[in-house]
Amino acid sequence: MKVHLRVFVEIENLGKAMNALVEAGITGFYILEYKGMSPQDWKGFSIKEDPKSAIGLIQDYATDAVLVCSVVEEEKTDKIVESVMETLEGEKYTILEVPIRRIIVNNKDLEKKRAETWLLEKEVPCFYCGENSVQRIRIDMNKAKIWCTNCGASRYYLIKGVEKGGS
Amino acid sequence: MPVKKWKLEKGANCYNCGDATLHDIEVDEFDIKIRCRECGFSRYYTFHMVNLPRK
Repeated sequence: MKVHLRVFVEIENLGKAMNALVEAGITGFYILEYKGMSPQDWKGFSIKEDPKSAIGLIQDYATDAVLVCSVVEEEKTDKIVESVMETLEGEKYTILEVPIRRIIVNNKDLEKKRAETWLLEKEVPCFYCGENSVQRIRIDMNKAKIWCTNCGASRYYLIKGVEKGGS
Repeated sequence: MPVKKWKLEKGANCYNCGDATLHDIEVDEFDIKIRCRECGFSRYYTFHMVNLPRK
């Protein structure tokens, strides 16, 4: 079975936590930034119900924190958790281990793979800044963008139509 | 500042025939045209908007 490992740390401890997780052998991960309040900070508060007060309270009192999530093999979980606990000794953190019942991963189908993005370059004077600089061209199936690498002026195009076997 | 027509080429798998072929790309101020040299499948794009930085 696999486990969804969630490590909640304060933002200044993110580097430490990441190093501990990587050293212990996690392969992939994702990160969510959030503002959190722990029960001891929260105790005794009652929020005025208008949205401004509620948001103000969160901005003033909540801590910037990060949630690092990874999917790991159940048998490796203890080793990973021990590594994080050792590295973050004396710091504030929370670790959750959530069992995963099933994982479904869907890859892009072949049709979508063919609709790849093209990137081209052309060095000409920019229509806006006039400098002779590289103009990057990005062409997707339904839109295109051309921008100047010197000044950033961008032109956007949308698909108008297609023609099969046109001469 | 007027924009001269650009003529570019791109080797890529065609959206239509799927072959790895050269595509001719013509870009001007108002339109982009892309044509597969193998099957002739063409896509036309039209100018939508411009985003200019502050000078």
